[in-house]
Amino acid sequence: MPEPATVGYGSSVVLVADDNEVAQRLCRRVLEKAGYMVLIAGDGQQAVDIALAENPNLILMDVAMPTMDGLEAMRQIKAARPEMRVVIASAHSMASDRERFLAAGADDVLSKPFRLGDLVAVVARLTAKPSA
Amino acid sequence: MPSRTRGLVHRATPYAGLAAVLAVALATGAPGLLVFPLFLILVLSVALFDDRAQLVAIGSAAALAILVLAITQLGQMYNLATAVFEVAVLGIVAGSVHEVVRHAREAEATSEKKAEDLESVDERLRMTLEAATIGLGTVAADGRWLQVNDKLAAILGRGSDELLRMSLLDVTAEADRRAVDDALGQLGRREIVRWESEVHQARPDGRRSPVALAMAAISDQGAGQPLVLVQETDISARKRLDAMRDAVVGVRQVIVSASSWEQAAPTLLRSLCAHLDWDLAQYWSADGERRSLSLQTSSHKEGSNLDLDDPVRNLSIQVGGGLVGRVWQSGVAAYLDDLAANDYEQAGAERRAGLRATVAFPVIGGGSTIGVIELLAREVRHTESDLLSMLSTIGVEIGQFIQRAATAQALSRSEADHRAIYERSPIGIARVSGDGELLEGNPALLQMLEHDMETMRSQAWPDLLRAYDQAAGRARLAPLLAGITDQRGVQIRAATGGGRWLWLQLTATSIPDMSGRPEHMLVMVEDVTTVREAQDRLAEALDAQRGAFATLEKLDRTKTEFLSIVSHEFRTALTGIQGFSELIRDGGLETDEVRAYGGYIFNDADRVNRLIGDMLDLDRMESGRMSIRLADVDINEVMSDVMARASSSSTVIAEFKADLDPRLPIVTGDRDRLVQVVTNLVNNAVKYSPDGGTVTLSTRADGGFALVSVTDTGLGIPTDEIEHVFERFRRVRSGAAQSIPGTGLGLTIVKQIVEMHGGKIWVESAVGHGSAFHFTVPLAAEHATPLQRRHA
Repeated sequence: MPEPATVGYGSSVVLVADDNEVAQRLCRRVLEKAGYMVLIAGDGQQAVDIALAENPNLILMDVAMPTMDGLEAMRQIKAARPEMRVVIASAHSMASDRERFLAAGADDVLSKPFRLGDLVAVVARLTAKPSA
Repeated sequence: MPSRTRGLVHRATPYAGLAAVLAVALATGAPGLLVFPLFLILVLSVALFDDRAQLVAIGSAAALAILVLAITQLGQMYNLATAVFEVAVLGIVAGSVHEVVRHAREAEATSEKKAEDLESVDERLRMTLEAATIGLGTVAADGRWLQVNDKLAAILGRGSDELLRMSLLDVTAEADRRAVDDALGQLGRREIVRWESEVHQARPDGRRSPVALAMAAISDQGAGQPLVLVQETDISARKRLDAMRDAVVGVRQVIVSASSWEQAAPTLLRSLCAHLDWDLAQYWSADGERRSLSLQTSSHKEGSNLDLDDPVRNLSIQVGGGLVGRVWQSGVAAYLDDLAANDYEQAGAERRAGLRATVAFPVIGGGSTIGVIELLAREVRHTESDLLSMLSTIGVEIGQFIQRAATAQALSRSEADHRAIYERSPIGIARVSGDGELLEGNPALLQMLEHDMETMRSQAWPDLLRAYDQAAGRARLAPLLAGITDQRGVQIRAATGGGRWLWLQLTATSIPDMSGRPEHMLVMVEDVTTVREAQDRLAEALDAQRGAFATLEKLDRTKTEFLSIVSHEFRTALTGIQGFSELIRDGGLETDEVRAYGGYIFNDADRVNRLIGDMLDLDRMESGRMSIRLADVDINEVMSDVMARASSSSTVIAEFKADLDPRLPIVTGDRDRLVQVVTNLVNNAVKYSPDGGTVTLSTRADGGFALVSVTDTGLGIPTDEIEHVFERFRRVRSGAAQSIPGTGLGLTIVKQIVEMHGGKIWVESAVGHGSAFHFTVPLAAEHATPLQRRHA
């Protein structure tokens, strides 16, 4: 269920895939404030659908989600759109998890809980145009 | 012949003088008294020579001349009587002078002769002294040398001049000096006249030469000072022969009294050192393949303080290497007078230890060189050929001994070994004839089977063989008699004479006779009962251990999973708490926003709190630190209460249905805990019904218990997970259920609480149809019927 951006001037679109409502709200609040257009997905399947339909510049993907987990969603998205950037934002933070996510194809990994500045920075870095 | 002419002149002169005096007297008519002294002088001069015949002739001529003068001058105052008187005087004087002269001559000749004699004696003595094969000399009472002959100088190894500035004591070895000094004192005081002993003289090169020393007091008439004649004989050759003889005797003594070379070697080498005066003796033994020699035994002379513990010392010698290697190779004794002067490459340590001379000889046994004995000395010395031949002889004797001893030892050892194996072996050994009869059984066999030899032979052994054949599954003994050795052995069950059952392992070996035909068999009988039992126990223990290990492994795995789940839950909750509090902190928010964010923060904080509470509860329950406060509880009221709260939550989309038995009696329980149980089950039902559905809460009485059920129409639990749902940290992970959050502790806590009440909990479920959780709580006592009590 895509939601329209409340701030219209952002040039980059970020898809936030998270089943936790609090996390959804937090990310939307912070990224919109930073000038991005934010789409929200509540589970993995939604994330795949929206990503393929909307072609967001970046996907912020939780892992533990109902119906389809974030890693499977990422796999399907990358299979269809290899160039699409995916940042895994997970509360799984065992030492091996980060490696596991990067190996699965994540462009970066953001551990929950995160500093808001870190969230903005990783999104800014991966949405920046090569020419910029 | 001038000498004869001189003799004639000599003889003629008195006569000419006489004739002249007579002629002058006759011519001048000089009185006889005047002429007489002239005659007298003439006669006397002749008389002075020891020539009696001429004296008589001259005397007679002088007497005739006097008479002639007297006759020719008769009538003058000179007469015949006077002439006769003169002749008489002349004769007397001439005779006595002649006598005196003769006497003097004789005396002179005697003394001359004596002098000559003395001189020749002295010369002979000197020559004797010089030529003597023994050393001779004289010393003063204080030992100062006064005279020495060359031989003595040679014995003492010093020059004669040098000796004359020294004393006998100076050249005597220190050990003997005191005795020689004492002897000199006694000789000087004339307490003894002769002293003899064998002593050592110290040579300037440091060698000590053995001498037979004899001293005798002699007197010197001139000075009256006591003199001592010193006679020294070099007895080193004799000593050497004695030493060599003693050495051979010593070696033989050691050999006859020793039973092995190892035992004999140190003593033998020490004996060689002592008798032949070497500082060190080493035995180099050839290895089995005769490729190298290694130092086997090393002994040094008693009191000889040698330190050869040089780590780089070459303790292995190759064929032809160094003196020892050369002797080994050639089988011929050899020597080096001075290690320092020879390039003796193997002897670095020996040189450093101050050893100079060495001699090595082969130890020959069985026709080949089996080792080399090397003798070493601190001082340079010359090794004589007789020593070499003596050592070679010894080498052969030692070699024969070594071979003899080794053979004897090996024989006695193998015999003793075999006997000991048979007698003392913990393994039963049976010697069996070709047709299977027991010929001999060792003590262990009889003891093991608790039989005496007789019953063993007649009963137990045939039984044993039958069991063997059965177990081995082959015709009796035939393969064994054909010469096959059964290496693996066969295990059989056998009863002992005392009725115990044993597991025996039988291993048979056939022993061929001289022609190689199997003559009899040896059968080893081992009691492996404990091994078999231990194996069985071990297998059991291994199984148990495998189980325990699996449990441990599972525990470890669930613990890791638990940590992962718990941390995930905490971090998820903290994401909202941290993020929104950061937003609030940074300011610039509307009041509504702040309130909303505060609500998120509160909810997540509450969730964290619950998680912590669950963990602590479980810990307290499991460690037995949680108690329940039992009271009368209306379980229906609990169910209604929980349902009301659950359905009021805005997030829950499921429908609730209550099917409560209104006649259900009061139960005995802890209300708060029962609320916790029901709440948990209801929450699960909601949680695992993501697409909504119906959650039914029901109660009814069942025997002495209240049966409580929470049923949902949700995801259901896969069959293989059903038995695990009450385990700690265990959550349904398959399909849609995998991302449903939870601690994995809820049901574990529920089960604990139910069981603390004395009830039971179980689940029925099917994937896609939902789950039904049931638990029982005992009814309060006054409501329980007898039947119900029996159920309890």
